Parts: sequence; C-alpha cells; structure tokens
Amino acid sequence: MPVKIEIPSPLREHTGGLVDVPVTGSTVKAALEDLVRQYPAIGPKLFESGKVRPYINLFVNDEDIRYLDDMDTATADGTILAIIPAVAGG
Amino acid sequence: MSFDPKSPERYSRQTRVPGIGKAGQERIGKSRVVVCGCGALGTVLANHLVRAGVGFVRIVDRDFVEISNLQRQVLFDESDVIGNMPKSVAAANKLRAVNSAITIEPVVADIDRTNILDLCSDVDLILDGTDNFEVRYLINDAAVKLGKPWVFGGAVGTEGQSMTIIPGETPCLRCVFEASPGPGEVGTCETAGVLGPAVAVVASYQAAEALKILAGKKDAINKELITFDMWINTNRRIKIARLLEKRNCPCCKQQNFEWLEGEHGTQTTSLCGRNAVQVSHRVKNKLDFEGLARQLGVSGSVSHNKFLLKFQLQEAGNDYEFTVFPDGRAIIKGTDDTDKARTLYAKYIGY
Repeated sequence: MPVKIEIPSPLREHTGGLVDVPVTGSTVKAALEDLVRQYPAIGPKLFESGKVRPYINLFVNDEDIRYLDDMDTATADGTILAIIPAVAGG
Repeated sequence: MSFDPKSPERYSRQTRVPGIGKAGQERIGKSRVVVCGCGALGTVLANHLVRAGVGFVRIVDRDFVEISNLQRQVLFDESDVIGNMPKSVAAANKLRAVNSAITIEPVVADIDRTNILDLCSDVDLILDGTDNFEVRYLINDAAVKLGKPWVFGGAVGTEGQSMTIIPGETPCLRCVFEASPGPGEVGTCETAGVLGPAVAVVASYQAAEALKILAGKKDAINKELITFDMWINTNRRIKIARLLEKRNCPCCKQQNFEWLEGEHGTQTTSLCGRNAVQVSHRVKNKLDFEGLARQLGVSGSVSHNKFLLKFQLQEAGNDYEFTVFPDGRAIIKGTDDTDKARTLYAKYIGY
C-alpha cells in the first residue's frame, strides 16, 4: 500500500481532479517529489524557491510535520500525507 | 398575552447542557463579543450568540446586502437588498426582534489597523466573520496584543476550517499559517463558489467555541485545527497544539505586530476624476496571470498579456473594470469609494 497524498480542492485541477494520489517515498520530501513527477503542474503551486509555500501546511497522519522531522518526516505504506492550505473565504 | 423577554425559561434548554449550567449561562449573559464581518460566517455567528443570550454583541461590517448574499447569509432578506441596507444594520434589525433583552451594536466600518483596537478592546472575545486573510492577520495581531481569545473560521467551495486562539495557551494564526496566501493564490467565494451549509458548519463550530469560552469552560476548548470537505465527506482534527512550544512565532512569541503596524496589507487611493480607485498590495512574486484568469473567467470577461490583466464584471447592476498588474496592484474603474474597491479586490483577487 503506497503513501496517499490528499490534494486540497484548489490544487485538484493539477491532478486531473483526483482527491488523493498514491505515491512512493520514505520521507515527506520524497513523497512530494513523486507527486510532482506524476503531476508536474502542481510543483509551482506547492513550492516557492524550493520551499513549501508558507500558507500551505503538511500533515502526516494528522500530525504537523513542523514538530516532527519536517520534510524528513518518515512516511511508510499506508501513511496519509495531507496538503492543507489556508481556507480564505467566509 | 404578557411576554417577559428576560424570562429564565428563554435559555432553559441551553442551561441544561451539562457544560453550561446556571453559572455558565450567567457568565454568557454578562459577556461582550465583537463579530468582525457580517457575511456568511458573521450572520450565523451573530444569530447563535444573540439567541444564546450573550449580553453585548457588536457587529462590524463595511458592506451592503446584495442579492448574491441571500443564498447563505441567513439574516438577510429581499427587502434588505431593495433597501440597500448596510449588513451590520440589517443584521441588528433582525436580531433585535429575536432577543430584546440584550444589547446589539451595529457598526458600519471597514476594519483596519486604525480602528481594530478600539473595536476589540472592550470585549471578552473576538469572532472572525470576515472573508479575507488581511483582516484575519490583523485580528490575530490585535487579539494577541490585547491578550483576548479569538476564533478563526474560513470556508470556500465545500471546504471549511476553524481554530480557537487563546493567546499564550494555544498556537496563534501565524504559528499555523506562517503567511497569508497572496492575491490570486487561493480561491474566494466569488471565484470558487461556496456551499451554504459549509459556511454554516464552520460558523457553528466557532459559535460553540465562543460559548465554551464565555461560559468559562476553557478545558472544553478545541486546541486543534478542524478541517473538512463536505462534498468528499472528510472531516479531521489536525494536531497543531504542539506548535506553540515549537515555533518562535513573530507574532505571539516575539510580539511583532506587523499587520497592526502596517507592514502588510493593502493601500487604496481614489484616482481623482476618474471614478477609479488604485488598490496597492505588496506581493513577493509576480502574479500568475494564467491562474488568475482561469479563476476570474467564471465571474466576468478576462484578457491578459504579460504586462496586465483586464477583468470586466457586472455586480448589482454596476459595471467594474479591473486592470491588474504583475506586482499585485490594481486599478478598479466604476467606483471612487475606497472601501468598495477594497471589497471588490478581496472578493475577486482574493486577499
């Protein structure tokens, strides 16, 4: 069972409408690299100067990676990596 | 029939909720709250608070009721559109008929760094009923500076988020979202649409948090980030509480109130004699005209080259033309009212 990346709605136009994308990779960084390999157009939406854009957060199994090992946080088969941007409206 | 608006029976069902009780209800009755923004989130929030018996509710909004609001902004009706009513006044009129035993103060104003401390300094709790991150980061600065709790809520499309900020006890907005999305980087309710029930759910989470805080039940407060998508049936509670000790947040740790001090945000200038307003906004990177054109295409006609993007739309019978530049600056033709221009910029360019 691969790592599953959950795609938020503003980015789904870059994954052909897919809500989640199966990827391989043993860290968050590697998993995201595989996502960008599969869907190159999502790259510039996620990253800015090599870093994840500051209004986008990454969560491994509902835990914020900033208090884990950040982009080196381990991912295993079955891990859910959620990409969650700030939701603007109201 | 005699009617006593202050009858204890009024709140009897709420008082029976074990977490509230008689003492909690008394605290709620003595509480003062400001609702910042009275759109989809704000109307649901104000409705819950007034019915729950919060003693003083200040409702602040810069806008007027339009027909496209009626789908989700639950306190407004067709007469408010016809009468061109300010949202805060229309909401107060409805809610005074619901509960005459409390005080409701409508304020027609654009919340900015010059008035936010005045609007928030005499209340116990600040609630986010806004539709943009410029005001949310301003609320965050003000709340942290004043040491007052606030509850964030956001909704676009079928997605929603909410978190509760108790300065010094939970992560603040900047601990979690380090920077706001820039113009055109995320959808707005105008460009991506919004499902009425999604906003109502977010505001109801916020209102429940408000009642916990006002009733003095801090232990019950949600210290994590709630996020959901009603269309694909996901609902999760993301663990963020530990960010408080992990991050050297510029706002809540270093006490740098950059939004309050005017280092961020939009500036507006009315262009004399041109029926136009220039909205300046600092962005680090050039705007993505391709993406922005796609978003705006659902609301009006768009064309662009590498120097500028033109966007024409009709709203409430008025024609507007945006000329947007790669640095985020826009000239909005069709109004000389700077508040209206800021509203249009926030609605369509998304800030």
